[in-house]
Amino acid sequence: MAEVEETLKRIQSQKGVQGIIIINAEGIPIKSTLDNSSTVQYAGLLHQLVMKTRSTVRDLDPQNDLTFLRVRSKKNEIMIAPDKDYFLIVIQNPSD
Amino acid sequence: TSGFLRVPYTTCRSLVPPNDDTPFSPKVFDENGTDVTPQPLYRPDPAAVPPRQSKILMAQDVSGATFSDFFSSAFHTTYASFGGPFTRSLFESSIVSKSSQSTMESLNEEIEEPSSKREGIISLSDVQVRREEVKEPTTEDVLNKKVDIHLTETETLCLLDIPATSVSVESEEAEIVKQRNAAYTELCKNRMGNDKYVERAMQTFNGAPKAKEVQTKSITKVDAGKQTTNWDIYDTLSGTGVEGVVREPPETEESNLLDIMSNHIEDAPAPEVILYSEKFQQDLLVMEKVVLQNIFQPKLAAYRQLPILKDPDSTQKPKDTGKTEKQIQKTEDIPSSPALEPLWSFTCELTVGRNVSSMTWNKMNPDLLAVGYGHFDFEDQKSGLVCCWSLKNLKWPDRIFHCESAVTALDFSGHNGCLLAVGMHNGSIATYNVQSKEKTPITDSSEYPHKHTGPVWQVKWVSQERAHSEEEKGEALVSVSADGRICKWVLKKDLDCVDLMKLKRTKSERTRRQLGERERRSELVIWREVPGLCFDFHPEDSNIYLTGTEEGFIHKCSCSYNEQYLETYKEHKGPVYQITWSPFSPDVFLSCSSDWTIQLWRQDLLEPVLVFTSPCMAVFDVAWSPKWATVFGVVTEKRLEIWDLGASILDPTIVQDARPGVKLTSLQFASESDCILLGDSDGQVGVYQLNLNLGEGTQIKMHCSILLFN
Repeated sequence: MAEVEETLKRIQSQKGVQGIIIINAEGIPIKSTLDNSSTVQYAGLLHQLVMKTRSTVRDLDPQNDLTFLRVRSKKNEIMIAPDKDYFLIVIQNPSD
Repeated sequence: TSGFLRVPYTTCRSLVPPNDDTPFSPKVFDENGTDVTPQPLYRPDPAAVPPRQSKILMAQDVSGATFSDFFSSAFHTTYASFGGPFTRSLFESSIVSKSSQSTMESLNEEIEEPSSKREGIISLSDVQVRREEVKEPTTEDVLNKKVDIHLTETETLCLLDIPATSVSVESEEAEIVKQRNAAYTELCKNRMGNDKYVERAMQTFNGAPKAKEVQTKSITKVDAGKQTTNWDIYDTLSGTGVEGVVREPPETEESNLLDIMSNHIEDAPAPEVILYSEKFQQDLLVMEKVVLQNIFQPKLAAYRQLPILKDPDSTQKPKDTGKTEKQIQKTEDIPSSPALEPLWSFTCELTVGRNVSSMTWNKMNPDLLAVGYGHFDFEDQKSGLVCCWSLKNLKWPDRIFHCESAVTALDFSGHNGCLLAVGMHNGSIATYNVQSKEKTPITDSSEYPHKHTGPVWQVKWVSQERAHSEEEKGEALVSVSADGRICKWVLKKDLDCVDLMKLKRTKSERTRRQLGERERRSELVIWREVPGLCFDFHPEDSNIYLTGTEEGFIHKCSCSYNEQYLETYKEHKGPVYQITWSPFSPDVFLSCSSDWTIQLWRQDLLEPVLVFTSPCMAVFDVAWSPKWATVFGVVTEKRLEIWDLGASILDPTIVQDARPGVKLTSLQFASESDCILLGDSDGQVGVYQLNLNLGEGTQIKMHCSILLFN
């Protein structure tokens, strides 16, 4: 249990990490290091995106499944680790 | 009434009623003696029955039915008048079950008709009773018997018959019809002006129309639709889908994918359960590695010798970009001089302040590095630490093992990539399995009676090619320690060790002569064994190994003799800290010692071929480069030196000073890349890229042989 906290702290302290959000399967944020409005916005939009992505991957091959999703944009990179029960989202700007 | 059949077979007499003459209808008498027997509703025509019966007989004779069939059918016909539906069905079934001959079937049909009309008549005669007795056992049998069900066709019932108005040209009636048709057309022709035909009009009644209304309940229609995907179908078919898939789709018109998905999800687990689940921890670790890869991507690319791509989205000030571009251009024009480029360093808060004592790469996974932390001196002994660092996570080790004593030696097994042997300052040797998450060692020699009594300075896994028995083949763990023993450890049932060599103190000739006689006599030899500090097995012959002692001697030994040395190389004046065979030339080895020298030897010469004296302090570590045959690295307390024998044998090619306040302790080359690792006394393992601009391999080998042409 303490390991989880430690690892979260370590990720948060890495260079360029802007925020970590953990949302449950329904799209409700459980834990977040950003402010409330951003969290809710990220959670809602990314939930849909992951569902769509997962649907795409599985449509192409039903035995396949989505394991990781990275969205690189001009200003930052959003990394999402999806699971059956939760989504782990980290937003990082590596060139900071 | 029907008589009974006089059966010519004697054996059925028992079942035939005793009195032959009286009919079987029971007689009911009232008090006056009048016969008030209810009359049967139907009297079969006696004339009709016997022929049927005879027919039965004949049929049976012809078909060869069994005896039992015969009398059961006889029963049937005889008692048909008295049989109620109960008995009839019983007999029918028994008949049916026993044979499926067509005659019997037709028989059943015929018999069925009369008996169906006689429902309601139940005879109470003795025979009936007896029949009932017979019935009892058969009911159970009958239930278990197979019943053949025969489906027969009924008569064709004609429901609608519209005769055709046209006839085929080829039918027989065609001629007649044609003639009639012709006659008719002629008649029509003649009709025009004929007096025989008169036109007349008629008026028919028009019925008054009446409107009639019917009102029904409104039929509710429901539109049901579901959006499904390829994988949804697959999931349902394979049974792995979430429960809600089988449920009826929601009646709302929402076709939003999100809603449909969320309908299918059962109650989401509580946040605490999620946060502390195993899977979440794993995902976190993966995420950490991804984040770090983003940060260190250029360094890792340099390590892997991949071209470093500039991030197109990086927001840097234009001034800086201008400068770096110019710099890049400059470096491209001039061939760069040999240099060490720092990439990153493995360090974390756990390791700060600890002395790096040894490093080793994993033999199976070249991205995994084990680093042992422990002080060399007897003072300020902290507990030891072993960290397994991975190239994927540069900021936190993958595995952390706490040891009770300072770690002084490490080695990964070659056969089993997960085994890590750790030698400690208190003389014990432990093996860990790095694959599992357990923090405790697999084996620990601290309880073993023959364990080392001094710090273990080196451990190595050696594969035994030549072995006495089958079980010794594989790998053995060899260790050398300050108590002067070189031991080979074998794990059979318990940890067991065999002394390969006891390093005895030998005095050189010179010192013996110098000592006066009196001094020699009074000299007490307190300790016969001399601490061994390092050893190295020959790369090709696993029986031969070299070992360096505190006296400054290098002994060549063999596993077959544990009393005698094969050779002794005496040149160093101080303890020999490291010996390594060259990976390219099988006869050449290097040794370094605290007498400020590094010496290059050839196996058959007792004098060193070359002596390097550049550093002016004790040399702690020396290592050959795995890529270039003439390159080796040297670590002294304050400097790292890279020597290239092809370039110069007098001066090192690259000299790098340690960070201020930090002592360098150990050195390791990376096998898959051009980098070297440097451990220091502050717990940092720095990774540097070596740019030597050398070709590979063979050309260098020639240099080597030229050098050794003594």
